[in-house]
Amino acid sequence: MQDVMEYLIALFLIVSGVFGLVGSFGLLKLGDPMSRLHAPTKATTLGVGGVLIASMIHAIALEGKASFHELLITLFLFLTAPITANFIAKVHIHRNETPQSMPPAGEDRLWATHDVDKETA
Amino acid sequence: MSLFLIAALPFLGACFPALLIRAGRNASAMSAGAVSLLALIGLLIHAPSVLRGEVIAARLDWLPELGLNANFFLDGLGLLFAGLILGIGILIILYARFYLSREDPMGQFYCYLLLFQGAMVGIVLSDNILLLLVFWELTSLSSFLLIGYWRHLPEGRQGARMALIVTGAGGLAMIGGMLILGNIAGSYDLTVILQQRDLIQTSPLYLPALILILIGAFTKSAQFPFHFWLPHAMAAPTPVSAYLHSATMVKAGLFLMARLWPVMAGTDAWFYIVATTGLVTMVLGAVIALFKDDLKALLAFSTVSHLGLITMLLGFGTGMAAVAAVFHIINHATFKAALFMTAGIVDHEAHTRDIKRLGGLRRLMPVTFTIAAVASLSMAGLIPLNGYLSKEMMLEEAAHTAWLQSTWLVPALATFGALLSAAYSFRYVAHVFLGPERDDYPSHPHDPGAGMWLAPAFLVSLVVLIGLFPETVAGGIVAAAAGAVTGGDLPEYHLKLWHGLTPAFYMSAVALSGGLMLLWGHAHLNRAWTNSPRPEAKTIFDAIVGTATRISRILTDRLHDGALTRYAAIFVAFTLGLAGYAWLSGTLGPQTRAPLEIAALPLIGWIGVIVSTVLMVAFHRRRLLALILMGVVGLVVSVSFNYLSAPDLALTQISVEVVTIVLMLLALNFMPKETPRESSPVRKTRDAVLSIGAGLGVGGLIYALMRRDFDLPTISEYHLNNSYSGGGGTNVVNVILVDFRGFDTFGEITVLGIAAIVIFAVTQAVLSGPVRGRLLNRKPDAPQSGDAHPLMMVVVTRMMMPVALMVAAFIFFRGHNLPGGGFIAGLIAAIAVVMQYMASGFGWAAERQHVPYHGIIGSGVLVAAVTGMGAWLAGEPFLTSAFGYVHLPGLEKFELATAALFDLGVFLAVVGAVMLALESFSRFAWQPGIAPEHAMDINPARDLDPKNPEEV
Repeated sequence: MQDVMEYLIALFLIVSGVFGLVGSFGLLKLGDPMSRLHAPTKATTLGVGGVLIASMIHAIALEGKASFHELLITLFLFLTAPITANFIAKVHIHRNETPQSMPPAGEDRLWATHDVDKETA
Repeated sequence: MSLFLIAALPFLGACFPALLIRAGRNASAMSAGAVSLLALIGLLIHAPSVLRGEVIAARLDWLPELGLNANFFLDGLGLLFAGLILGIGILIILYARFYLSREDPMGQFYCYLLLFQGAMVGIVLSDNILLLLVFWELTSLSSFLLIGYWRHLPEGRQGARMALIVTGAGGLAMIGGMLILGNIAGSYDLTVILQQRDLIQTSPLYLPALILILIGAFTKSAQFPFHFWLPHAMAAPTPVSAYLHSATMVKAGLFLMARLWPVMAGTDAWFYIVATTGLVTMVLGAVIALFKDDLKALLAFSTVSHLGLITMLLGFGTGMAAVAAVFHIINHATFKAALFMTAGIVDHEAHTRDIKRLGGLRRLMPVTFTIAAVASLSMAGLIPLNGYLSKEMMLEEAAHTAWLQSTWLVPALATFGALLSAAYSFRYVAHVFLGPERDDYPSHPHDPGAGMWLAPAFLVSLVVLIGLFPETVAGGIVAAAAGAVTGGDLPEYHLKLWHGLTPAFYMSAVALSGGLMLLWGHAHLNRAWTNSPRPEAKTIFDAIVGTATRISRILTDRLHDGALTRYAAIFVAFTLGLAGYAWLSGTLGPQTRAPLEIAALPLIGWIGVIVSTVLMVAFHRRRLLALILMGVVGLVVSVSFNYLSAPDLALTQISVEVVTIVLMLLALNFMPKETPRESSPVRKTRDAVLSIGAGLGVGGLIYALMRRDFDLPTISEYHLNNSYSGGGGTNVVNVILVDFRGFDTFGEITVLGIAAIVIFAVTQAVLSGPVRGRLLNRKPDAPQSGDAHPLMMVVVTRMMMPVALMVAAFIFFRGHNLPGGGFIAGLIAAIAVVMQYMASGFGWAAERQHVPYHGIIGSGVLVAAVTGMGAWLAGEPFLTSAFGYVHLPGLEKFELATAALFDLGVFLAVVGAVMLALESFSRFAWQPGIAPEHAMDINPARDLDPKNPEEV
């Protein structure tokens, strides 16, 4: 049983390491900001997630106690990662796109970040 | 009544008139009068024993290490002066009630007056010269407020400034003199100093001490050449002139000379400096007074002249002259205060103080005329009024005083001074009240109500009574006070009207008849006087002050021109110079510690800091990028604190980092995103040299320090050992903050609060000016984002707020034993709120914020202070903490410490200060009335059919 758990922990650590590596590689390799935005999300979700699961298993199986810190970290990650990505995307649209270069925004007038131009446009 | 209470009563009572003015002017005046009366009664209780020759003392060791003790003592001299101050104070309070008009803020007036009264009583009762100096400066400050009371008048403001500069500068000189004196005597207690006559007079420092102290006394008592401020101080309301400039403050200098008479007087230096200055002042003041047309200016210069007379008597250094001086102090206070009050009445009723426009008032104002006539005839020295008695004694003393072997000089000049004095006194009566009635007064004069003439009437009744029965009315107090001046032995003397045909009588007769002749020939003399060139003191004074201002402005403009880089350069260069001096003059011990191998993690951090610093130099022109690079440095520092087992510091650093970055971003919002190129190559080289030098210096210093053991044992050991047993906490950092060095922390949160309030005040000042309009109309230099409040951000921050506050609470509560504490918790709570401001906008957040941040700061400081004062209840010093363990059923045993309450104060102050600063910055961008469009207050049902239009 102990060994199974240790293998499991190792597996999650390897998975997280691989995704961390992939995420970092993608950040360097991919061309434009919108594509690059995808790479770190792998590192934050799957990469960090793997470490956290490994840590929880470690606590339960080897230390004999339940640990919930990891859930809290997950919660914070789930809160911060999308916001960060959202802001990066917004900045990108704001700086590199014009209202004309974007697809129609539907009933909500313009794309939010270009909203300021609605009076002038 | 304890002397402490007598001295403290006016200070304590100063708030009553200011508060009671809401209940009306009578209530305000009555409260001020009651306070003075209470203090006077307390003083008079001691009078019988003091008149018997006893000395009442009250002692309290305040800062014995510095020789500063709150010691008071009351002897004859103190009783005389304190009695004058409090007694005339009551009369002035009565007079001012009717003198001040409805527009004047009377509560403020009485408040200042009582502050002044307290400072004066403090001077005359102090038994410690350091304490005396404190009160001395307080009189300068409070008289500044009183002279400038009519602050809408430029003369009032200028006069107040001039008085403050002259008496304040004199006070500074006196501080030096007093310190020398205390140093010679080996104690700052007057009772000790007064026993050391031989020691002091033989000391080589006697002369400097004497000169410095005399400068203080002469400036205060308006002696030549410092006499010029007194007439300009006449811009004050008349009650102030009557109180400060005739009876009390200008006599403080005389008091001091009299007080130090036993140890200072009797030397040649004393005689020539003091007596000569007095003589010159007496004659000069009298000459100028004779030609003044403004009633108050005339009285002001006559005061200068009489103060000179008393100074001269003190300068003679004989026991009999001391008696005459003390007696004349009493007499002058009575008739001069009365004269000032009558001048005020004339001004109040006729609406002018110009003698040329007055005359013939005796039928229109019979009561005022009687009072003024008696008082000025006493000033002239006419038998049988009290001025005659002391003038006779003065002339008698002058008659046998030789000045540089010349036996005629002093008597002749004294007679001349008395002659002029008689002349201007006669003029005051003749040109104002006698003569034909006129029909062109600015206002039709008539006698005022009893409230205004009662006070001067009381004083002139004293004038007459002392004149007729000197021994009965004033004999006791004169003997007691003169005894205190001379230090015990008094010559045989009699206070009586008729001494026979003495030389003094002839001199007096000459003076009076000469005075009448001068009055007769005044018109001719006046023409000659106005045509002769005279130096104008105010022009000279203004020129000196102007030059000083110019020089300091040049200096300030050079050093303090508003460029932060210049301050930084001066500061760094100075520090480098000091450090260089220390390096060259000191010695360096041997290295005792071996260097450690560098581990991988610190190496990465180190490289990170260096790279970001280098990048910072390269990219500093792009401000946003620079901010990010700064953030990198901050994060590495936080992480390294954590690595080096300082979790408290790491937590603090990281939360401070967040707040700082937010603040900077806010500020950047109003600035160009790029720094303009403005440094010349020379300047860049200078800055490079300075910063590299400073950086290498600090690095070298730290390296040298880390390679050596400390010379002396550090205090850390003590903190570690006593943290749990003494402070009840295992988190040493927190125990240091709230317990060991709690007083520091208390000071720090106070400063933090003040800084935040200053930021708020500056913002307020800027926004109330034209800047506000410019800010509202400014065109941003880059296109602004359309949704300032992105939906996702808004949702998340609102969700995070309770979580973040919970974290703050957690950090706060565990702070005493584990990393955390009020300061960090405060920062986290502030961040929780800042998130709302950032995400949802200032307007949205401000609408939901109901407690003003000022109040939070104030409550924090108060909570900390009250917690600290709680220790007094247990008889312990301020901020002593206590802790205990409580066991409640259902809970584990837990600890309660007063330190936690103190920490709560820290928490509140930090939250308030951070938020107030952020809010102040935000207000620059905020446009009131423009609702944020994209915050979450958009009704999601806006496109559906509105059932209730209010909801949309």
